[in-house]
Amino acid sequence: MTRVSRRDFMALTAGAAALGACGGRGLLAADATAGAQMSIARWTGGKDLKPEEIRQAAVRLTEKAIEAIGGMKRFVSAGSVVWVKPNIAWDRKPELAANTNPDVVATIVRLCLAAGAKKVKVGDNPCHAAQKTYASSGIADAAKEAGAEVVFLDKSRFKDMAINGEKIKTLPVYPEIIETDLVINVPVVKHHVLAKTTICMKNYMGVIEKRNTLHQDLGTCIADLTRFMKPRLCVMDAVRILTARGPTGGNPADVKLTMTVAAGTDIVALDALGAEIMGLKPADIPSIVKGEQYGLGKMDYKALSPVEMAVS
Amino acid sequence: MIGNRWRLTGARIRRVVQLLALALFVGLLLATRIRGGEGPPGAVKLFFWLDPLVLAATFLAAHAVPLMCLLALATVAATLLLGRVFCGWVCPLGTIHDIAGRTIDFVRGKRPGNEHFSRWQRAKYYLLAAFAVMTLLGAHWVTIFDPLVLLYRSITAALLPGFQWAVEEASTVIYRTDPGIGSARVTAITEPAYRFLRDGIFAVQRQSFEGAWLILVVFAAVVGMNALRRRWWCRYICPLGAMLGALSIRPLLRRRVDAGRCTGCDLCSAGCHGAAATEEPAAWKPAECMLCLNCTEACRRSGLAFTAGWPWQARTQAQRLDISRRALVASAAGGLAGLWLVRSSPLARGNTYNPSLVRPPGARAEREFLQRCTACGMCIKVCPTGGLQPALGEAGLEGLWTPRLVPQIGHCEYNCTLCGQVCPTGAIAALSVEEKHKVRIGLAAFDVRRCIPYAYGRDCMVCEEHCPIPDKAIFFVDAVVQDHDGARRTVKQPRVDPSRCIGCGICEHVCVFKDRPAVRVFSANESRHPDNQPILGEPSPY
Repeated sequence: MTRVSRRDFMALTAGAAALGACGGRGLLAADATAGAQMSIARWTGGKDLKPEEIRQAAVRLTEKAIEAIGGMKRFVSAGSVVWVKPNIAWDRKPELAANTNPDVVATIVRLCLAAGAKKVKVGDNPCHAAQKTYASSGIADAAKEAGAEVVFLDKSRFKDMAINGEKIKTLPVYPEIIETDLVINVPVVKHHVLAKTTICMKNYMGVIEKRNTLHQDLGTCIADLTRFMKPRLCVMDAVRILTARGPTGGNPADVKLTMTVAAGTDIVALDALGAEIMGLKPADIPSIVKGEQYGLGKMDYKALSPVEMAVS
Repeated sequence: MIGNRWRLTGARIRRVVQLLALALFVGLLLATRIRGGEGPPGAVKLFFWLDPLVLAATFLAAHAVPLMCLLALATVAATLLLGRVFCGWVCPLGTIHDIAGRTIDFVRGKRPGNEHFSRWQRAKYYLLAAFAVMTLLGAHWVTIFDPLVLLYRSITAALLPGFQWAVEEASTVIYRTDPGIGSARVTAITEPAYRFLRDGIFAVQRQSFEGAWLILVVFAAVVGMNALRRRWWCRYICPLGAMLGALSIRPLLRRRVDAGRCTGCDLCSAGCHGAAATEEPAAWKPAECMLCLNCTEACRRSGLAFTAGWPWQARTQAQRLDISRRALVASAAGGLAGLWLVRSSPLARGNTYNPSLVRPPGARAEREFLQRCTACGMCIKVCPTGGLQPALGEAGLEGLWTPRLVPQIGHCEYNCTLCGQVCPTGAIAALSVEEKHKVRIGLAAFDVRRCIPYAYGRDCMVCEEHCPIPDKAIFFVDAVVQDHDGARRTVKQPRVDPSRCIGCGICEHVCVFKDRPAVRVFSANESRHPDNQPILGEPSPY
């Protein structure tokens, strides 16, 4: 089986885009039917869900959201290697919403494999001890069960790469992530003392080292990193959100059950939606503003006419 | 001569048992790590449970008997019956001495000489007597010379990290340069091997320990002395060997030389591990014999055997040790002097507290802690962040190689209680996660001359973000600062709430200043020392 490298893939995509431009509307129209740019799946089933029902709902919401943007086959080509990048930062249980919901992650793994991915890797660069964090987040077990390879990042394998951003020029990036054919960004919507809220763009902090210095100008640095990562698919977990004392949390009183999963290709739009779910104005979040300035996406996510679904 | 035909001898069985025991020891050591979020089973402490010196020292110093340490009575019973089989057949450090001795002789092209009992072998008994006096008066120091402790610490803090360093550096160089011929890459072999070691053997990436050089030098010296005398450490120094020797003065198993067959060739004393035979033919000191059975193997006329006999039966060939009473009294006095040596500092008297002596959570008050801590290094081995380090001078001479938290290297993981779970003597109490959350091991303090929002007028907040306390022990106060051009803006300056801070040190660990973090944890406010608590309890001043 031939493996398409990231570089080859980009060349192919560029070629396809050029063809599309030459060929006129036919191809573009085909793309439009392939899926929307963004989808939002909201749970409208019963309230007062039992833990097991929340888990099943998370699976359903994820499946629906991805189906609505054209299904996983739109992004995953047969035989490709996919890196699913959840937020696995803290030694906290799933109920505390400090990490991405394990059922959302496992569903994405399953969909990738069903779409023909050769291998799906799941990993993050945790802030707490990795062995504990991977286990207590529930993501290691869930991803493994879904068929993924759970990867612990290795401090001696980071490579300095040119970010060429406004604020950051080079950073140690984890090459194994960059070398995959597709990175699916799967953050959880959380409060953050400095950034006010962290969603998709901030989630890329887990593919690098030396991230702590970035906090001195977080908005710009996150946007720099996002531009470097060239996001293609993000799946936003807002099944449970952390409303205060983020990003670490730990107090069940700070967790709100919002039962929403959104997916899309426009990372700025998804972050704007996440900010709204948090009760914030997207225009108040520096990384969102900067992301739109960089042309990474649209803050006005409604302009993308997202597919909104009620799932029950 | 029968020729070189292989036969099953006692010595050969002994060598197999020795290698198995060494493999078990190393295997249990390697298993002492976090895996999938879980700690190791209690059985990883097996060798320390079996160690009668640990049991005796803890009983004498702390008047405590850790329950599982009673397994050491089995070792005592075996010694009373059979003599020092533990030294000869089980002790992993003894096995390393045997291997080292054989290797050194092989390199030098020498056969083991005929070594007879030396009067200096009594030194270990005098040392033990001196240590016993120290221990009776509450110093647990003898255990840092316990052979199992010495080996465990040496592997944990020096040998294994050294191996890990070599593997990490070498494989990283290969990974980065990616050599190979055509499409065949060297990394196709090195990367899987490296990953196997990283995921299956090593506990913490880039693990390293403060003062590892000293631990390595001591270990190398102890092993290197085999060049001078085989099993030099066992014969002259080992306090556990001395203790077991004192218990095996009248074992049931005893060596008997058949005078009718003995030609006095003295082959039996060549390769004797304990140098238990004296120059008189057939004479033998049971307290020095490690039952290695080299003598029975060496005897060409099968004139030598170990047979059972009752304690009251005459044993003409067994010789006493001739311990001098005068020397024993002098040793006891030496023990007192030793105690004076380690206890004369203001720190040891409890007049001062060392701010950088942050003990692991659940550690008892310093005096009680030192009465139990063997400095074995199990806590250091299991710590999932690698932050527990062997103290060099921070805890005084008495606290040499006892654990302390160095947050710059690794913080104390909020939901982790492994150090207390693996401590074989209860120097660190085994806490539940809920109990641990309430134990303060120190208090964080900001260095406002460096901390970025104070000193450089920008936001940072990395410490606050990492603080694991659900209600946050670090909080922000808005402050208006003026920059170089006179522009004013508001920054968030962090403060520590002492009623919430438990001193885990993650703030120090993640601080952007890597040379000297702008927030540091000191031992002040530690739960275990009421006298070291400057902060009045609830309610919080904020």
